[in-house]
Amino acid sequence: MRPAARRRTEVEEKMSSHDAGSTKTVLRAEGLSCPSCVAKIEQQVGRLAGVSAVAVRFNSGRIEVEHDPRVASVDELVRAVARAGYTAQPSPF
Amino acid sequence: MDAARGLRAVDAAGPLGAADAAVPAARGDTAPARGPATAASPRGPRLRLPALPRRWWRPAGASLLSAVGYVLTHAQLGATAGAVGSGLLLAAAVLAGWPIALQAARALAVRVVGIDLLVTVAATGAALIGELWEAAAVTTLFAVGKALESATLDRTRGALRDLVAAAPDVAVVVRDGRQVEVPAREVAPGETVVVRHGEKVPVDGDVVAGFGAVDEASITGESVPAEKAGGDRVFAGTLAVSGLLRVRATGVGADTTLARIVHRVEEAQDAKGRTQRFMDAFGRWYTPAVIGLAAVAAAVTRDVELALTLLVIGCPGALVISVPVSIVAGIGRAARDGVLVKGGETLEALARVDAVALDKTGTLTRGRPRVVAVEPLPGVSPADLLGYAALAEAGSSHPLARPVIEAAEEAGVGPGDAAVEAETVPGKGVVARLAGTEVVVGSARYAAEVAAGAAGMDRAVAAADGLAAAGRTPLVVLVDGRPLGVIGVADEPRHGAADAVAELERLGVGEVAMLTGDAEPVARAVGRQVGVRSVHAGLLPEDKLALVHSLRERRRGVAMVGDGVNDAPALAVADVGVAMGAAGSAVAVETADVALMSDDLRKLPHAIRLARRTAANLRQNVAFAVATVVLLLAGVIAGGVTMSLGMLVHEASVLLVVLNGMRLLRPLRPARVGAV
Repeated sequence: MRPAARRRTEVEEKMSSHDAGSTKTVLRAEGLSCPSCVAKIEQQVGRLAGVSAVAVRFNSGRIEVEHDPRVASVDELVRAVARAGYTAQPSPF
Repeated sequence: MDAARGLRAVDAAGPLGAADAAVPAARGDTAPARGPATAASPRGPRLRLPALPRRWWRPAGASLLSAVGYVLTHAQLGATAGAVGSGLLLAAAVLAGWPIALQAARALAVRVVGIDLLVTVAATGAALIGELWEAAAVTTLFAVGKALESATLDRTRGALRDLVAAAPDVAVVVRDGRQVEVPAREVAPGETVVVRHGEKVPVDGDVVAGFGAVDEASITGESVPAEKAGGDRVFAGTLAVSGLLRVRATGVGADTTLARIVHRVEEAQDAKGRTQRFMDAFGRWYTPAVIGLAAVAAAVTRDVELALTLLVIGCPGALVISVPVSIVAGIGRAARDGVLVKGGETLEALARVDAVALDKTGTLTRGRPRVVAVEPLPGVSPADLLGYAALAEAGSSHPLARPVIEAAEEAGVGPGDAAVEAETVPGKGVVARLAGTEVVVGSARYAAEVAAGAAGMDRAVAAADGLAAAGRTPLVVLVDGRPLGVIGVADEPRHGAADAVAELERLGVGEVAMLTGDAEPVARAVGRQVGVRSVHAGLLPEDKLALVHSLRERRRGVAMVGDGVNDAPALAVADVGVAMGAAGSAVAVETADVALMSDDLRKLPHAIRLARRTAANLRQNVAFAVATVVLLLAGVIAGGVTMSLGMLVHEASVLLVVLNGMRLLRPLRPARVGAV
C-alpha cells in the first residue's frame, strides 16, 4: 500500500506545484537540542501566510513545510525559523 | 525547466529567482547542497563550519568572566576587588543568559514553557537574592552545555550528510551525438550518461556499453568494487573506480536509490519508538511537576534558593535527549553499513531476534539457477547435449530455459536466432520442432512417458534420479525419441551464506530455518551446503505464513528474510521482515522493516549485532538519565546540591548521554568469522 500511495502523492505534488501552487520544501535545521524547539519553530513557520502545513522532525532535524512559494518563499521560511532562534537551510531531499 | 536543459550548471542558476529555487527542491530533485539551485547562496551542511566560532564565543567569554569574577569575590582581596568581581559575575550572567532569556521569551510567545524559561527564572532569582556567583555559574554552565550538546547532536545527525553529499552535481550526457555536461537533476530518463573512472555515477541506470568497476559502498556498504558490464544496474552516488561506462538513465533526482535511502533513514530516525514516546511523556509531566514542587517549596519553607535550585534541575535535558541520540546514531551507522532499519521500534525488535526464517531462493541461494552438471549418454558429446537442449529451450518461457541457453552459449553451441516452434507442457517440459527434428526437454518422468522403452532411457532416468538426489533439477533431453543425456540445473548457495548462518548461531539465534516452495531434495542439498538443519520444503505462501506464526509462538523475536515477492505475507507477520538485495528494489527500500542493500546475507548477523549494540546503548542512556534526575532531586531536597552544582551535574549528564550515543557512530568491530 505504501509505495503506491507514495507515488501518487509525488505525482500530486508535481501537479500541484504547477497548478495550485502548493509545494513541499524540506529545510534542515541546526542546533535543535531540545524537543521544545519543535513547538517554537512550528508556530513561527505555521503562522506565515501561504504555509498550509509544517512539521518539525526533532530526531533528524528536518522541517517539512507545505507552502505556496509565490506567497511564502523559501527565504521567508528560513527567516521564520531564524525568528524562532535556529538556522536552517533548504535541502533537496 | 526545458529551457535550462543543456545549459551548464552555472547558467542554470541564472533565471531562477530565490523563490523559484524551492520548486526544484520540492519536486525532489537530487541537486546536492552545492547544486545550481543553491549556488547563489551557499547553503547546505557546509555552512555549519563558519557558524561554529559564533556558537562558542558567548560560552567561552562567560566562562572567563565567571572564573575571574569568582576569584575576585572569593579570594578576599578587598572591597574594590570584590565589587569588580561582582560586576564581572553579573556581566557573565548577562552575556551567557541573554540568548537563553531571548529563547525563553520566544517560547513564551508561542505558549511553550521550556527549559530556557526555567534557567532564566532561576538565574534572575539568584541575582535578585544576591547570589551572583550562582547566577553566573548556572547561565554559563547552561550555555557551555547547550553549545556542546548542539554541536555533538548535529554531528550525530550528520551521519547521513556524507550520503546526501555523495550525489554528484553534474552529468555528462550524450545529446545529438555530442557529450554535454548538464546538472545531474536535468538528465531525462532514457538518456545516455557517460561515466569515466574516478567519477561518481550521477543517475540510477542500466549499463548499455563499456565495462568497469564501481565502488558501491555508499549504497550497499560493500567495500569491494563491483564489476559492471552491459545490462548491469548502477546507482547514483556510487564511484566508478575504473573503466568507462555508458549508462541509460532510469532514475534521476528523488527517484534514485540514494534519495530513497536518505529519505527512508530520516523517516526511521523520526519514528518514535515505545521508549521515546514514554520518555517524551515523562519529560512532559516532569517539568511542570518540578515547577509545582518549587512553588510549594518556596511557599512552605520560604527558602527561595531551594525553590530556584529545584527549577534548575527541573530541566528534563538528559531524559528527553537520551533516546533520540541513540536511535539517530544507531540507525545512521546501520545505513552507512548498507542496512536500512525502519525505526527505533524495529531496531529494538531486531535486537530481540532469536529465530530467523530464511527463504531459500534468492536469499540463501543466488536466485539464478545455473547448469551445474552435463551428463551425456555414451556416444553423445556434451556440446551436442547442451546444443539440442538450448535449441528447444530457446522457444520456451520456462524458468530453467535461461540457464540452459546461457550454458550452451558459453560452450559455443548457443541456439542463436533459430526459428524454433516450441510448445511448453506445463510442469513437464518443452517440445520443439526444427527442420523435421523433434527435441524434448523435460523431467525424467515426462521423458519416460513420451519415449517409453527407448534405448538408453533407463540410464538417463538413473542419471536424472542421481542428480535429483543431490539437489539438482534434472532435465532429460530427447531427440526424435532418443535420449541424449541429462542436464542438471541448480540454484547455488550465495557466497557467504554459510558464514552468515554460522554467525547467526554464534550470536545465540537458537533457530535458523529454511522455508521454500522447492522440492525436499533440492532444499536439503542447499541446507547441507549452508549449514541450516531446519529445512521446510514444498511450502505454499500460506504454509510459510503458518510456520512463521508457529515460530513466533515459541520464540521471543522472529526475523523472516526474503525477496519480498512471494513471501510477502510471511515477511509481514514476522516480528522483523527483512528484504535482501534491496538496492535493486524501490518497493523493498520503502516497505521492509529492515532492508539489506547488498546481496550479502552476512549483513543480517551484522544488522542484529548493530541492533543489539543500539538497544544496549539506549538502555544505558535511559537508566543513566533517570538515575541522574532522581539523585539530583534527592540531593536538592536533602540539601547539599546548590544551584550551580545542580546545573553542572545536569549539563554533564546531558553530555554524557550524547557522547554515549555517539559511540554508536563508530563502526562495529568486525565479526570473528565472515567479516566483509
